[in-house]
Amino acid sequence: MKRQDNGTPRYGFTTWQQTCLITSTLIGVGVLTLPRTSSSRLLEAGWMAPLVGSLGAYISIWMIAKLSRRFPGMTFVEYSPLVWASKESPKLGKLLSIPWIFVYLSFIYVATGMVSRIFGEVVVTSVLLNTPLEVIMITMFLLAFFLSLHDVDVVARVNEILFPLIIFPVLFIAIASFQKADWSYLFPLIRVSGKSIFEGAYEAVYSFSGFEIMLIFYAFTQHNSGKEKAGFVGILMTMVVYTLIVVAGITVFGYEELQRLTWPTLELVKTTQVPGLILERLESAFLAVWVAAVFTTVANAYYAVIYGLRQCFNKGMVFQRIASAFLFIPLFFIALIPQNIVEIFQISSYIGIGNLVLNLGVPTIYWIVLFLRGKAGIPKERKADG
Amino acid sequence: MSQFWNAWNKRKDRLRNQTLEQHANKSMDSVKDSPVTSVLEDNIVLIEQQFGKSDDLVVRRFQITTGKDAAVIFLDGMVDRNVISDFVIRSLTTENVTYLSPASNELETTNQLRQIVRNILSGNSVLFIDGSTEVYLINSRGWDRRSVMEPQTESVVRGPRDGFTETLSVNAALIRFRLKDPNLRVKHLIVGQRTQTDVFVMHIDGVAHPPIVEEVIRRIENLNLDAILETGYIEQMIQDHRYSPFPQIQNTERPDKIVANLLEGKVAILVDGTPFVLIAPAVLSQFYQSPEDYYERFYIASLIRFIRVISILIALLLPSLYIAFSSFHPEMIPSRLVIAMAAGRSTVPFPSLVEAMFMEIAIEILREASVRLPGPIGPTIGIVGALVVGEAAVSAGLVSPVMVIIVAVTTIGSFASPSYSAAIAIRMLRFPVMFMAGLFGLYGIMLFIIVMLVHLSSIKSFGVPYLSPISPLNLMGMRDLFLRFPHHLMKLRPSMFRVHDKIRMREDDQS
Repeated sequence: MKRQDNGTPRYGFTTWQQTCLITSTLIGVGVLTLPRTSSSRLLEAGWMAPLVGSLGAYISIWMIAKLSRRFPGMTFVEYSPLVWASKESPKLGKLLSIPWIFVYLSFIYVATGMVSRIFGEVVVTSVLLNTPLEVIMITMFLLAFFLSLHDVDVVARVNEILFPLIIFPVLFIAIASFQKADWSYLFPLIRVSGKSIFEGAYEAVYSFSGFEIMLIFYAFTQHNSGKEKAGFVGILMTMVVYTLIVVAGITVFGYEELQRLTWPTLELVKTTQVPGLILERLESAFLAVWVAAVFTTVANAYYAVIYGLRQCFNKGMVFQRIASAFLFIPLFFIALIPQNIVEIFQISSYIGIGNLVLNLGVPTIYWIVLFLRGKAGIPKERKADG
Repeated sequence: MSQFWNAWNKRKDRLRNQTLEQHANKSMDSVKDSPVTSVLEDNIVLIEQQFGKSDDLVVRRFQITTGKDAAVIFLDGMVDRNVISDFVIRSLTTENVTYLSPASNELETTNQLRQIVRNILSGNSVLFIDGSTEVYLINSRGWDRRSVMEPQTESVVRGPRDGFTETLSVNAALIRFRLKDPNLRVKHLIVGQRTQTDVFVMHIDGVAHPPIVEEVIRRIENLNLDAILETGYIEQMIQDHRYSPFPQIQNTERPDKIVANLLEGKVAILVDGTPFVLIAPAVLSQFYQSPEDYYERFYIASLIRFIRVISILIALLLPSLYIAFSSFHPEMIPSRLVIAMAAGRSTVPFPSLVEAMFMEIAIEILREASVRLPGPIGPTIGIVGALVVGEAAVSAGLVSPVMVIIVAVTTIGSFASPSYSAAIAIRMLRFPVMFMAGLFGLYGIMLFIIVMLVHLSSIKSFGVPYLSPISPLNLMGMRDLFLRFPHHLMKLRPSMFRVHDKIRMREDDQS
């Protein structure tokens, strides 16, 4: 018997839920390699990389939030045709928006595959030595599939409840490892040139990809205002966490040693000691808790892709469930394309840059088009909650 | 005067029966909905036919002072015989009455057969008078009922000792007695086509969110069960997610808990014949809270609540953590302990998953056996099982000593939850976590936790997200989550139940 939804109003995303969504999506596998990648060019000034690397993200999230405020209650897939053509010619609008939507969705899709691949590599090389890589990836996909079976408000609540589980371990590791820190590794403070700051920041950009899922999720907010704030706070929190981790990595190991570590954050965990010695080596526990962070990255992005597809074809929940079950099969093979860890890092670096270009470029183009068509005005917030 | 009396009764009757009729019509199809005749003997035969000559149907004939024949019909054992002999028959046979009125504090008249049958079934007695189509329904219910006693399942150190009984009216009175608020509303429903069980749905008008109340009533009205023997039937049929292992409606035997929940804007469902009362909607955090938390000072209450949360986590995760540590991550255990553990396990021939399963199943059998055994033997079995079998299993080399400690702590932990229905959900979920830990170690445990959290996030109880106030975040509700803030800091009711009167404590009431 199917229940009617009487007396059960839909919950829109609160501002805090949007913040959690952004932060937990951004924090993913990037943290594990961040101390190495950000200090590869910047050397001892590597802590600048997350600060500079996040600039693009701020601008981009601001534009995405503004776009969403211009079309309240609509996802990227829904408002794209309205940007490209007037309401009278929906066919033309649809035709013109298809390339953008396609590029975005397939980009998020591939990035999702890479994240699960990197996670699988970490788990297989450091904790579950006898488990095949494919098994770890499949379990991660199954988790994301399970989330995709649910409604969109469940995504927000899951991110909200997992948020402390993502933030606290990494903060704990960063702060606990300061007891072994040698602060002289940070000096001289600024030795590198301004040009190489930007070159170095480029390495950290990959860690700031993922917030483009808000193109979809901003549509479900409770209020039309507060979207920019949620975006800024979300990226700010991520930036603080990243900076702390990089500082911890540099001060504990020094930038030269960092370059020889595949998973510097995991090495940081190994050096951490819990007072009282209840547990001796923490990296298994850390990676176990880290599953939550990777899950939110993979599952949110995957959900966004599936939801975007569902809206493209104007289908309902059943389509979403079936599609989420089948789209894992190509994703699995895409994730297995890179032959070794070096290739993975190379690809993820490309993804990071491609992401930055896409996230800065597409919203800019959209806004230019809107201005040219004279439709850039943001509608006033309605008093009643919509 | 008599006309007025009749009209008054009819009106009262009609109002009350509007609800009764809707539900009962389907169920009492066998009884013809026709008016009775004015001939006494015909009526008696008619009633006897409906009951198929059941032997507990009592027909007492007598003559009233005006000389007419009369008969009282009731079911043996369900009525208070004193009421019938002293007040009905004696008053009608001895006193010289002009207007006939049996002495009873609740009296109605009808001429509909179906209603007469229903009243006989619910313990009222029915008075027929020859020559009249008016039939008197006399409230003479009086069967043996259990007195108000201390509840067995939810004991508290400090707090009221009375618990609900099997009688609906007593239960409703226990609530009314604590909540002298005219805004307390009771909706009477009859559920179960064969059992015709009385159900009360209670809420406080102006506090509870009307759509939630309406939704509860609508779902109960739509029930098509033929029998309601316990609140569990209603609970399982009206909850939002029937396949979820987690209870989405709380049950309690304690009136003080019901009153506290009514004041938070929830709805209580009372069922005749059971001391368990339902509270809807329910959120996860309610299941580790006890009314005692509000009676003791807040430091102690918060500490105890915290301990309960930890014990629930232990009951869920400890065996699987043992499996994960001992078979996947021995490097995490401090080195001296790992040597001791390995020494203890050296004689055990099984992998740790099998060992843990073995012990957990044994302890489940013990628990079930000690519940079923007659009173004095129960604890003995517990001691025999825990001490003798545990000790023997260790010395026989079947399990390691650490495993015995783990199983014992896990079991005690699962007893610390104040709500039995939540505790058994945790007890059950322990087994799949153990399997996941046996497959993937800590990674598997985390996979399971994430699946569980996604599921918990997707549950709603009557439109209220199950994980609130954590998600969606509600800072006012958080004050009563893991910590119990002092009462003067909880001036507002938790808004997650969308209460209307939000203020619990007014500023000017403070001294």
